[in-house]
Amino acid sequence: MLTKLAGGRLFDPANGRHGEVADLWLRDDRIAADPGPGATPDAVHDVTGKVVMAGAIDIHSHIAGGKVNLARLLMGEEHDRHRFAGHACGHDGIGGDRIGGGSGIATPSTHTTGARYIEMGFTAAFEPAMLGSNARHAHLEMSDIPYIDTGGYLVLGNDDFLLDLIATNAGQAAVNDYVAWMLTATQSLAVKVVNPGGINAFKFNARSLDLDEAGPHYGVTPRSVLTTLARAVYELGLPHPLHVHGCNLGVPGNVATTLDTIQAASGLPMHMTHIQFHSYDTAGDRKFSSGAAALAEAVNRTPTLSVDIGQVMFGQTVTASADTMAQRHTAPLAHPRKWLAMDIECDAGCGVVPFRYRDTSYVNALQWAIGLELFLLLDDPWRVFLTTDHPNGAPFTFYPELIRLLMDRDYRLAKLAELHPDAPAHTTLGSIAREYTLAEIAIMTRAAPARILGLADRGHLAPGASADVTVYSDVPDRRAMFERPDLVFKGGRLVVRDGVLVAMAQGCTHVVRPGYDDLIERRIARHFDERLGLPIKHFRIQDAEIRHGAGPQLHPCQRREVP
Amino acid sequence: MSFHPDILCPFCGLGCGDIGIDRDPSGIAPRPSGCPQADRLFRRSLAVPTDARLGGAAISMDDAIAEAVRLLEASCAPLIAGLAADVDGVLAALSLAERVGATVDHERSDALFRNLSVLRRFGWSVTTLAELRNRCDLVLVVGPDPAAAFPRLWERWVVPEPAFVAGKGRSVVFLGGDPLPETVRCLGGRTETNGMDTGAETDLATLVGRLRTALAGRSRDGDPMAASMAALAARLRSARYAVVVWAAGLFEGPQPDLIVEGLVRLIRTVDGTTRCAGLPLSGADNLIGANQACGWRTGFPLRTGFDGGGPLHDPDRFDWRRRLRDADVTLWISAFRPETPPLATGGSIIMLAPPETTVAREPALFIPVGTPGIDHPGDVFRADSVVALHAGALIDRGLPSVAEVIGRMLAALGRTARTREVAGC
Repeated sequence: MLTKLAGGRLFDPANGRHGEVADLWLRDDRIAADPGPGATPDAVHDVTGKVVMAGAIDIHSHIAGGKVNLARLLMGEEHDRHRFAGHACGHDGIGGDRIGGGSGIATPSTHTTGARYIEMGFTAAFEPAMLGSNARHAHLEMSDIPYIDTGGYLVLGNDDFLLDLIATNAGQAAVNDYVAWMLTATQSLAVKVVNPGGINAFKFNARSLDLDEAGPHYGVTPRSVLTTLARAVYELGLPHPLHVHGCNLGVPGNVATTLDTIQAASGLPMHMTHIQFHSYDTAGDRKFSSGAAALAEAVNRTPTLSVDIGQVMFGQTVTASADTMAQRHTAPLAHPRKWLAMDIECDAGCGVVPFRYRDTSYVNALQWAIGLELFLLLDDPWRVFLTTDHPNGAPFTFYPELIRLLMDRDYRLAKLAELHPDAPAHTTLGSIAREYTLAEIAIMTRAAPARILGLADRGHLAPGASADVTVYSDVPDRRAMFERPDLVFKGGRLVVRDGVLVAMAQGCTHVVRPGYDDLIERRIARHFDERLGLPIKHFRIQDAEIRHGAGPQLHPCQRREVP
Repeated sequence: MSFHPDILCPFCGLGCGDIGIDRDPSGIAPRPSGCPQADRLFRRSLAVPTDARLGGAAISMDDAIAEAVRLLEASCAPLIAGLAADVDGVLAALSLAERVGATVDHERSDALFRNLSVLRRFGWSVTTLAELRNRCDLVLVVGPDPAAAFPRLWERWVVPEPAFVAGKGRSVVFLGGDPLPETVRCLGGRTETNGMDTGAETDLATLVGRLRTALAGRSRDGDPMAASMAALAARLRSARYAVVVWAAGLFEGPQPDLIVEGLVRLIRTVDGTTRCAGLPLSGADNLIGANQACGWRTGFPLRTGFDGGGPLHDPDRFDWRRRLRDADVTLWISAFRPETPPLATGGSIIMLAPPETTVAREPALFIPVGTPGIDHPGDVFRADSVVALHAGALIDRGLPSVAEVIGRMLAALGRTARTREVAGC
């Protein structure tokens, strides 16, 4: 199958194209070079004047796994109100080409998740908090999400095994082997740390844990967990740096901890996630103000650092996190008033708290402003990513609105004026003139995510890349533009036309496998037998289990010499 | 003859991964595992009839699929229940339910919904089996001994030395139920029933209420039960990590969900100052996996159907026992054990079950299927809901999986399928 997209403006920053007019060719599931005169494409789409980008990539979205499924249960009222019928897509509507029915906005069911993403031109989304003990569940769920590529970031740093390795000075090499073994066994793409040591400390009844505070039982500090894992990720040569959900999420004044955390990395690459929730200062009568300026400055001058924002948008959502310690502090604010918490398998935990962000609330209004401030003050779009930490800041379906806020200053100021009247005084948002360009949006949502995750054949439009392509009409209302692309191709197949699903497609699951010394397996096996009550062989996820036998897509790691 | 160690057991929901299986030309048999369920259900013969049956007479699989599709397409009010299958089988059943407008429910979902109704309106604070094993210094068992449904619960998750409990180890206190004799043997000195003076009171809701009153420091003096409840409350408060264990399926009496809610509130109270978490157990025959898969596919728990507007959940109306009465066609799925409950219905039954299954009344159509973890690999969830396990295949009897059989039905449904009002006719 040869497809020609004729005459579009290509926004392909990975290949230095910022709106140049060119034809784009797709052959089967790949982008192809121009086959030259005489080629007879099977399909030609005239996209003259349209904006052509690679499929967008969401690097941090809670779309699958135990906590998401629990959140669905807790969000029953919303699911009752938002039900979607299944339907055939396209002429071949029977058999495989059918999108299943579903429900929900903040915690959409699997087919609904895939549909909402692809309708917006997203062709990949990554589950950023996969617990080892829950990995098989997460994979089962991810393989039931149609259209988009997925992958999971393995949560480490509160597991008793790792804390024991650190506490007993087992050495960096042993940690590296353990991390590599776990990545392999759980079919993961990256490593995430959530409130390093804090979730574990909470199991020993510690209700808070600062960066340099020794945790109970192991006497290990969050700083030491963080640096040990950051080093492991670096030395194993994983494409994605350690994905860090820091200490003190949501606590006023936590920007100081966040700045300390940047220092703690001391040059090791690190990705700090949903930094909006970690950018709070304590100025003003309410002891809650924006720390965005200081944080943005620190990020701007630290080239080894990348961030995503975790933008808050107003309305009902649900917060779902492995950070049981933080979620216990949030629980009294639950709306509706119900929440759940779980300690999990000497591994981590999960807390789910429904939440309604209100523009009439000073705190929520400021959270909204802080997120935007960060977006606009961070000057390198290659190191900042568009996220709402779905569903924690807002459902991912708010991305088009968020893009408009970034690209349209007048619109932004008008929205700022609608907020709680005291909020603007505690943020610099009103004074920021910057508007994101289409090229910058293409970097932030395509080229940069692919690069930071090591997905060489995603996020760009050069020959050989996966034929994941989105075509938009260039209209001034950027929300309308990004909400409803004209065309979306997944793996070369036209799946969305004018906002309507016209065919079915399946994505793939991305993983890394850095390799390890087999010796570590004996120690891990003993841990499984003695602590977890499960022979190690039942824990490992085989390739055949991924996507009904299709197996994962492997990405290379570049091991670095250990000094 | 060959021996296969460390086989995963898919039956009760504890996910034991240490079953030893002997295989010879006649079939498979388990080495004694200490679990009556595993010892019985892993025993399978290779010499079983693998024919489908229509009205008791053998027919080909092709004809069986065609007949199933004919029945389902003609049905006004189909029900897909039993739902005892691996995750793939459940997902296939959900796809089929959507196509024919059926409601779905699991045979054993009663126990689950006693817990879910509390989770959905109130939330909860719970833990998992490995946390119980390693962190818990005080186990409070509420109601009948869960070992009746989870035979190796104590042996595997409470008898092993906890990793993080200093001092004199842990205690197991039974409230409102007596430990089974096997449990007493297994737990030895850890068990405590003495000193729990609950008088003649046997109503669990009352007992839980009394304990909550004691925790709140509001016990009435002179109440014969007050002293022991105050003592138990004090122990919960002084424990480092107490786990409250219950098997709601074993609760008797009206409104068992109110007992669960009382327990969740009790746990929240204790957990405010020290650590305390619940362990609500339910989950045989991949009940939890069925609920998880239904949750991610539809956004709702089990007892969900499909109408023109999408999935629709109703925990009362779509209880399979109620739906069975008005369903004109029931697809009954029971892949794990060769037995079925009595199915009182005036409608036709299509049964997907192991070939050894004994039926009280021959169903309209019987299609033999393999058991996940015996005839084919399959994913099942553990009772604590976090851990999913991949059970392997032990023998090849030429039996298809539930997912394969339903996949063929879906393919055969063709273009005529339509969506109907749920349970409407």
